[in-house]
Amino acid sequence: MEENKFHILKYRIYILVWVGLVMLTGITVSAAGLNLGRLSVAVVLTIAGLKSGLVLNYFMHLKYERRLWLFKLMIPGIIILLILFIGLTFFDVALR
Amino acid sequence: METHRDYTGSKIGMWLFLLSEILLFGGLFLLYSTYRYKYSFDFHLAAGELDRILGTLNTLILITSSLTMALSISSIQKGDRKLSSLFLISTILFGVLFLVIKSFEWTAKIHHDIYPNSPRLLGRSPGEVLFYGLYYSMTGLHGLHVLVGVFVLSVVLVFMMKGKINTDHFVLLENSGLYWHLVDIIWIFLFPLFYLIT
Repeated sequence: MEENKFHILKYRIYILVWVGLVMLTGITVSAAGLNLGRLSVAVVLTIAGLKSGLVLNYFMHLKYERRLWLFKLMIPGIIILLILFIGLTFFDVALR
Repeated sequence: METHRDYTGSKIGMWLFLLSEILLFGGLFLLYSTYRYKYSFDFHLAAGELDRILGTLNTLILITSSLTMALSISSIQKGDRKLSSLFLISTILFGVLFLVIKSFEWTAKIHHDIYPNSPRLLGRSPGEVLFYGLYYSMTGLHGLHVLVGVFVLSVVLVFMMKGKINTDHFVLLENSGLYWHLVDIIWIFLFPLFYLIT
């Protein structure tokens, strides 16, 4: 059975990832308290990106998907697509 | 005749669905970014009215539910079906808790007459009207996804109790886990953009 041939993660790794996520949540809430003005969106989105990276790679197992590079390419691909959508829209919106 | 099973195919199918969900929310995030750019001050004002503590609590709840979901899959891989169902039940309960808190937030706002098309809301500046429109649509769509997730996980729980999901065949559990993690990720982005922007 294919399902048995892959990497079983220890419970400990999941718990460590959870601790990391909780800490990042704390950081993001504190960062919101500082008055960073324009930079705040970038900071907050970066931290959100880090958190998602942790969820994607460990909870969703992407880091351990050896079989298909397809899985590992899908997510960066869709992120680039979204950045394109939003970025190109801003070429319009920002210059009105 | 033996059931045809395609583990890799099942997972590819789920990932493709998740990508379509990302595009669905992506469209709403696009709207959010455009209007936020246009009405930054109004967004800042309106966001201050949301309850940051409840928002943070909800974030922690979903993060923990993702942990219990992952542990549920790990434990069934290790052959412990009982532990796996306990973790799955915890995940479902966390999901319900999230929805309960969300409903508190919404009813509080509605009680103050702030809801889409309410006269009180329409009397405010255009940026604030847009903020709340986006708030209700995006957290509403997300909440709907959480609700569906709770139902799906409950069905999966029943399957697990009946033995259809076991140490050898658990792709159903894995795939619903993937869906659940995506719902968590979407909230990870929604939370700062609505509750924490300064």
